[in-house]
Amino acid sequence: MLYKEFSDFYEVARKRHIIFFYVGYFSQHVVAAISETIKARLDTAGAAGPTRRRIFSSFVEMSQNIMHYSSDTLTPNDANENQMRRGSFCIGMKDDSFFLLCANPVDSANAENIRSRLEPLHTMSMEEIKLAYKKALREETPADSKGAGLGFLTMARDASEPLEFEFVRDEHNPDTTVFCIKAII
Amino acid sequence: MDPLFIAASPTSPEVDFRFDQHTLSIKGESYPENAAAFYGPVIARVQAYLDQCSDAEITVHVSLAYFNSSSTKMLFSFFEALNDAAMAGNQVRLNWYHDEDDDTILEFGQELQDDFGALDFHDHAVSN
Repeated sequence: MLYKEFSDFYEVARKRHIIFFYVGYFSQHVVAAISETIKARLDTAGAAGPTRRRIFSSFVEMSQNIMHYSSDTLTPNDANENQMRRGSFCIGMKDDSFFLLCANPVDSANAENIRSRLEPLHTMSMEEIKLAYKKALREETPADSKGAGLGFLTMARDASEPLEFEFVRDEHNPDTTVFCIKAII
Repeated sequence: MDPLFIAASPTSPEVDFRFDQHTLSIKGESYPENAAAFYGPVIARVQAYLDQCSDAEITVHVSLAYFNSSSTKMLFSFFEALNDAAMAGNQVRLNWYHDEDDDTILEFGQELQDDFGALDFHDHAVSN
């Protein structure tokens, strides 16, 4: 029975060509440990060097977004160090591409702010994304950012298609919205 | 001035700044949890060193296999400080190493050349 429980789960992942899945709390140690696993896994999956680097880069930006901004946190909300926040992340393959999918709860009040930063990227060409990246690199860091305001632009630059995203209001708790983002590499 | 050495961790690079030899090296991977907390003190030390340099010949080696978005921003500040020192009359040679098929790091090097023209920039494509 125990094996059956496990194999049901494993079969779903296999059918959907999931090569990595994690749900739980993200800390810097978790990010480092997953990094090691993903690098080894991508080596055996036969991805070309540039593809591997883009996947790895998108993983780091996504997982650090969870660590910095998920509203489900074990550590004080204003902490900048040793944070632990909850989210989920997976890498899979579809056709000839890799996809990265990530989800975490955010305060519903912040959802529009996140959406307003992602929506313009959706219609931008790769040239426009690179120009926006260059501009952001030279600007002052936004006040609400723990990074550089470059995270979404970096993901958009690494992806081969526009980033997809969705906001789903938690029906049991309207103050919380689940933020999902997907990158195809 | 005392040297600055920070050993590499899984998510932060080795920093080896030998100020008395005018040689500054950074190598490894850079995606610390808080890039400002990691690089802030490093840049402060470099700034203190640069402030006392005059007519110095400074050699900088940067060999980073990967850096995340927040590290990118901090590295940009580091190069800005070096460029200011070069404009103040020091010679600053920047050796920029990247994997030969790594377009992202190659392009970031080109950005640096565009913005920081006082640096003597040398691109080094390294084969696997």
